[in-house]
Amino acid sequence: MSVIFLLIPLSIVIATAFLVAFIWSVRSGQYEDTCTPSMRLLLDEKRPEATKNLTPTRNEHER
Amino acid sequence: MQTQSLDANQGVPAGAVSPEAPACFHCGTLCRGSIFQRNEKPFCCAGCLTVFELLTENGLSDFYQLGQSAGTRINPAPAGQFHYLDEPAVRERLVDFANDRLTRVTLHLPAIHCIACVWLLENLFRLNPGIGQSQVNFPRKEVAISFDNSQTKLSEVVSLLASLGYEPELRFSDLDTKPKRFASRRLWLQLGIAGFAFGNTMLFCIAHYLGLDTFSGPAFQKLVGLLSLGLAIPVVAYSAADYWRSAWVSLRQRLLNIDVPIAAGIAALFAQSTYEVVSGHGVGYFDSLAGLLFFLLCGKLFQQKTYDRLAFDRDYKSFFPLSVMRKTVRNEERVALAQLHLGDRLILRNGELIPADARLVEGPAVIDYSFVTGESEPVEKRAGDYLYSGGRQIGGAIEVETVKAVSQSYLTSLWNQEAFRKDEGARLNQLTNRYSQRFTKMVIAIALGAAVFWAWANPALSVKAFTSVLIVACPCALALAAPFALGTAQRVLARQNIFLKNPYVTETLADVDAVVFDKTGTLTAASAGSVTFHGAPLSETEERWLYSMTRHSTHPLPVRIGEAIARAHFPEPVCSFLETPGCGMEGSVAGHEIWMGSVAWLEGRGARPIGALRAEGGSPSPRPSPPGEGGTLPARGHLDADGLNGNPVCGSGVHVAIDGRYRGCYVLASALRPEADALITNLSPEYDLALLSGDNEKERHRFAHLFGADLHFNQSPLNKLAFIRQLQGAGKTVMMVGDGLNDAGALKQSDVGVAVVENIHAFSPASDVIMAAPMVPRLNDVLRFAKQSVRVVRASFLISLAYNVVGIAIAASGHLSPIVCAILMPVSSVTVVGFACGLTIWLGRRQGLGEPATQNNRAELEFGAPAEALT
Amino acid sequence: MNMNVETFKYDNRIVRAFAIATVVWGLVGFCAGLLAAIQLFWPEANLALQYTTFGRLRPLHTNAVIFAFVGNGMFTGIYYSLQRLCKARMFNDTLSWINFWGWQLIILSAAITLPLGLTTSKEYAELEWPIDLGITAVWVVFTVNLIGTIVKRREKHMYVAIWFYIATAITVALLHVVNSLAIPAGWFKSYSIYSGVQDALVQWWYGHNAVAFFLTTPYLGLMYYFLPKAAGRPVFSYRLSIIHFWALIFIYIWAGPHHLLYTALPDWAQSLGMVFSLMLIAPSWGGMLNGLLTLRGAWDKVRQEPMLKFMVVAVTAYGMATLEGPMLAIKSVNSLSHYTDWTIAHVHTGALGWNGFLTFSLLYWLFPRLYNTKLWSVKLANWHFWIALLGMMFYVVPMYWSGVTQGMMWKQFTKEGFMQYPNFLETVLQLVPMYRLRAIGGSLYIIGAFMMAYNLYRTAKAGQFVAEQEVQAPSLASQAAAHEEKHPWGHRWLEAKPVTMTVLALVAVLIGGLVEIIPMYLIKSNVPTITSVKPYTPLEVLGRDIYIREGCVGCHSQMVRPFRSETERYGEYSKSGEFIYDHPFLWGSKRTGPDLHRVGGKYPDAWHYNHMDDPGTTSPGSIMPRYPWLLTQKLDTNSLPARIAALRKVGVPYADGFENGPAQKDLQAQAAKVVTNLKFGTIETEPDKEIVALIAYLQRLGTDIKAQPAAPAPATTLTSTSH
Repeated sequence: MSVIFLLIPLSIVIATAFLVAFIWSVRSGQYEDTCTPSMRLLLDEKRPEATKNLTPTRNEHER
Repeated sequence: MQTQSLDANQGVPAGAVSPEAPACFHCGTLCRGSIFQRNEKPFCCAGCLTVFELLTENGLSDFYQLGQSAGTRINPAPAGQFHYLDEPAVRERLVDFANDRLTRVTLHLPAIHCIACVWLLENLFRLNPGIGQSQVNFPRKEVAISFDNSQTKLSEVVSLLASLGYEPELRFSDLDTKPKRFASRRLWLQLGIAGFAFGNTMLFCIAHYLGLDTFSGPAFQKLVGLLSLGLAIPVVAYSAADYWRSAWVSLRQRLLNIDVPIAAGIAALFAQSTYEVVSGHGVGYFDSLAGLLFFLLCGKLFQQKTYDRLAFDRDYKSFFPLSVMRKTVRNEERVALAQLHLGDRLILRNGELIPADARLVEGPAVIDYSFVTGESEPVEKRAGDYLYSGGRQIGGAIEVETVKAVSQSYLTSLWNQEAFRKDEGARLNQLTNRYSQRFTKMVIAIALGAAVFWAWANPALSVKAFTSVLIVACPCALALAAPFALGTAQRVLARQNIFLKNPYVTETLADVDAVVFDKTGTLTAASAGSVTFHGAPLSETEERWLYSMTRHSTHPLPVRIGEAIARAHFPEPVCSFLETPGCGMEGSVAGHEIWMGSVAWLEGRGARPIGALRAEGGSPSPRPSPPGEGGTLPARGHLDADGLNGNPVCGSGVHVAIDGRYRGCYVLASALRPEADALITNLSPEYDLALLSGDNEKERHRFAHLFGADLHFNQSPLNKLAFIRQLQGAGKTVMMVGDGLNDAGALKQSDVGVAVVENIHAFSPASDVIMAAPMVPRLNDVLRFAKQSVRVVRASFLISLAYNVVGIAIAASGHLSPIVCAILMPVSSVTVVGFACGLTIWLGRRQGLGEPATQNNRAELEFGAPAEALT
Repeated sequence: MNMNVETFKYDNRIVRAFAIATVVWGLVGFCAGLLAAIQLFWPEANLALQYTTFGRLRPLHTNAVIFAFVGNGMFTGIYYSLQRLCKARMFNDTLSWINFWGWQLIILSAAITLPLGLTTSKEYAELEWPIDLGITAVWVVFTVNLIGTIVKRREKHMYVAIWFYIATAITVALLHVVNSLAIPAGWFKSYSIYSGVQDALVQWWYGHNAVAFFLTTPYLGLMYYFLPKAAGRPVFSYRLSIIHFWALIFIYIWAGPHHLLYTALPDWAQSLGMVFSLMLIAPSWGGMLNGLLTLRGAWDKVRQEPMLKFMVVAVTAYGMATLEGPMLAIKSVNSLSHYTDWTIAHVHTGALGWNGFLTFSLLYWLFPRLYNTKLWSVKLANWHFWIALLGMMFYVVPMYWSGVTQGMMWKQFTKEGFMQYPNFLETVLQLVPMYRLRAIGGSLYIIGAFMMAYNLYRTAKAGQFVAEQEVQAPSLASQAAAHEEKHPWGHRWLEAKPVTMTVLALVAVLIGGLVEIIPMYLIKSNVPTITSVKPYTPLEVLGRDIYIREGCVGCHSQMVRPFRSETERYGEYSKSGEFIYDHPFLWGSKRTGPDLHRVGGKYPDAWHYNHMDDPGTTSPGSIMPRYPWLLTQKLDTNSLPARIAALRKVGVPYADGFENGPAQKDLQAQAAKVVTNLKFGTIETEPDKEIVALIAYLQRLGTDIKAQPAAPAPATTLTSTSH
């Protein structure tokens, strides 16, 4: 049963990693608006046709 | 969501209007009148058509697939409407962040209502290349736009939004909301960490509950103990930070607030657990420590949310009863402060308050800043000068242009200012301060007692008892019940157009046992229709002069005269206007000297009333009086009832003299308020009543059967003051009900000064309560409601006391675990506060104060003059 | 010229590649499953080949369905949705393609090694160590690609699905590494460094979390992306999804022990597993309710749209499985359901319902968009739905039925106190009709899958593939970041390169740390609590490896639970001390065949010989397949030294130099003894046949505890086992 001496600390390390991720997400304002992201999700399907008055800039590392 | 649709003045009528008008493709309103057509889609106006073209050109036609006619009706904004936004001063207040290259602004767009709007507003960079990232916050209906300074300006961005039908509502005053968001974010973080630690340490402890020790002995127990300690450290350090800080601050000031016991409890629990784990004697209470903090923070979050909701509708706009005359392109209209926009032209008359920092446009201004700075010597101002809000204009009406937005909170704070403060906070407030000190000391004493007792009887329980006693005790109800209950009462009354200066006025209202009434304007209702002129008929121009004179004063009598003779007159400028309270007003219009006021004052000025008018005993005037009541000429300043043809109309007169020659007087008939008798009769058993009036004895007999002995006439403001002081001397709590203008001193002296106002444009800081005239008959309900609110506060004190006594007893007996206490504490304070507010609202409804004032709806009162006078 | 609006393209090629792989491997996995199901009531269906016998077929089916079908399905969904959620192309195209081809290579190698019997026998981690290293490498590539895309995103807010993907990437990496730790004893042979109880705990800590982080969290992410898309309305409560994600992740480290209830695991660990599983209901049902309630007001769409039909059933099945799981984890229920087919029913409610249906709905939604056309036939898709649903019912209900029958029959006692069904075979024969029904269910499911494949093929043919989808979006940099949290530790720090560095460092540290810590730790603390338990003899080691190769653990368990019904049937209940030399542990999780932990000495060698040759002869009606090749194939003894050395490294106390000389001699001696025993049963065989080693191992099982401790048994020299 002594393997649990390995499993629990290891799991605590991972859980703390996710805690740090939680802190970063709250600090960086991910949850300021908890309603619009669910609506914005529905919008990426709409592909506006190429517009003439916008000269697209080629992004360097995009093929 | 359609704004009023403007009739399309021009446009290409396409074919006959089909019998059932087609819905506009863009905004869905039915297109009556001419229809605009573009690739066989109907549009109701040019505005919608231009937006449609704009979108299709820029490849945004998906907008119409996303939402069915999701656009909003556009009223073509005049060009350059938003230029003022580019001024640095204004721009600075609106923009979140700006550096030389980039600016970021958050705008509130009330027109956002569906996914199509979100999509359109997040593709703005297609319409204006200068715009970069635009992010919509749907629940708050806000959009955060960052744009490139070099390519576009703030006014361009805002006009683009307006052209799409999303005109932003520019609010300058809510800059203080920003920091609040960060505070709640910190609370969420603390809660997250406490939850994390609580979840995991609890699982370790379950292992102990399920017989861990038998199997692996100390080795694993040590591991679990150390891990729990490791997890508890961030909780105690970070999640409990607020408790430590507030406890430390209060200790440094050597007083004990409610966080001190909590901090002590946490410290004790943590210390003991650490000792147990390090020394290997046990497993410690880390799970209950983390749980404790987790539920405390949940309680705090829950409290914060409920208080925000309760406080939400207590914003100051509804409390500051002031409306102001705004000059529009066609005429003047009276608007509430809330409707004021930047750059509006306001007309301020004699004695009116300057609502917001403004620039003087025209008219000599003499500003009395006593209200703000306390020194009473008025200040001369010329056109173009900068006027600070809070000052009062003395003399003729002036025109100003607002430069800053109206700050209601500032004006209300003036109202509660030192100069007008009654005795400091009411007794309830002192009660809470005194007891909360003693309460905390008692709690700590009991906790120590329990700890010592259990240390002797059963050591395992001692820390547990000590902590739970500290945690379960909750004096918050003591601190919160009073403000919240009385605050709710204040709001209930406000909805009935009875504005209290601060919540504690309700308490003094409850203690009132003597009521003093002023006659004119309070018990008598000045009905507008009955203004008649007695004397030599005035020519059209003369009447216009008089009309323009009346427009400069806020005294109710000239104001009603002005409204009565307004008809089609267009006011002329009045110069050197001067009004002396209690006497009259003088000024020169188009070169003619005009005096209006009481007879005594006119005689003093040498205006010889024409012989016939002067006759004693009201002999009939030689010429027939104009239609309407008519009747004999006034013997002295006021017509007495019998002077007229028998009906019990009594009224006051305003005498007029032009260029020194007496011309006659306006008689304003005023009748007793409808339910005034009923009010007096049901007030008399509980309260000592008295009537003070500045008028003559004429109406004594009318009030005799109501007031009995306490009838005093010809009272000058000083006599009134003395009478009230004498009543107070006899140990009475006196409530003075008057029109707040000429008896301001008496109002200030009385315990509760109630200013009854016909239409709220004049504002007397001396009063504690400003009551709408129609509500006077309901005075008895108001007093009874105030008594009940105070009783509610006492009841919540009792409940909180009971909770504490029971809670501490059980906790001291060691049966209550700290976690349960941590749950009980916030629950108790929220229930007590909820009980206090809920019961007050319910009582208000029972007193008939529930539904908003219907007979004269709020909007109309807000706009001042009774509805029919509005042009 | 607009300086901050960027034009870029979404990469649909990788998505198409993964989608096609999903369909292909799905069919392969389902067919393997069907073949295995058929063999359970008709053993001859193993085509008389050792490569397609049930023992080797079952791991092939599980790995094909989990890693190939669900794995590729997950990657399809992630590569499609991540780009759109981040409004950015994948971080690096070569990494994407390494991820794709690497993953298909792993699947191929599994499809080759598993039928050959090269397996570690640890459930859902059967692949041998070279493939494990391959999986770790490909997974790191995927994680770097994922985190890179997130860092390069143009949408500030990270949608909840992205958080689910991150959780999957990070946690699966850890689980896989920890559970695959083994010492190689040859190219395709390794011994797990944990033994017995330790191995069991680590295996099921991995087993449950693999189910969680490979089959559930990524699919919850896919649900949060594709369900709102198909329903055309925002998710029911976005805040609930955030709360239930963090609640799930914060305390998820505790799963696992509920697979080992009433086994030799310490009692407190078992109860802890039970309590934790009950706590899991809240986050799981949070996800389900959020999904189903998203459809409020859009239920008529479910009628027309086949994709939504699949999604709704998937989410409902997820709800059912995640309620049934915790219920099964309750010790009293578990005492009935453990080792029975009820567990299989639970697994397949989740697998067929949640993973299967959600992947189908994903594919039906995706193909029309990838090929910019309509779905070829909506009617066919609806047919697939109803047939697949029926198939699932026909699979799951018979399994519940057989599970409960098994459980009840094993525990049945007559009035006099004797076992109602002393012969295990009676219980097995009772289940055969249910296995037939299950096979029907499975075939219906496959028919549906083939219909889908055809439908998607025609859709692809009809449409025109959109390889690169051009999109424009303002870059995040155009948003003044300076106004954000002034805290230096905020957004800026994470954006830079170190993020990918930390991910790699994390994995490196994990591997390095574990390799050093573990051996030191395990060897020292592994004092045998039962003195009479000795390491296996060389012949028994080879016999055990044959047991592993043939996948006997797929039907037989080696764990007698402390119930009277089991001690009566099998003998003394198993103690944790008996397994300390078992690398890997062979407790097993299903008893289609009887428990073998006390089979040592129960039957003569000859019985085993005939039984292995043709089980029908010794136990009429048995559904156990025949293993004739064991009688003919020669035992490979030259791999023995490497295996003994490897076992010594993982802690089995063989004397130094034992493998060079003495091991061979000991092997021959024991083999000769077995041959002589067989002669008594009139069976002639050479000592170098594989059956001899297997018989030696079977006869040794569970006998150590019976050996009298008084017999002098110095640890170094080995006593020959009593017959």
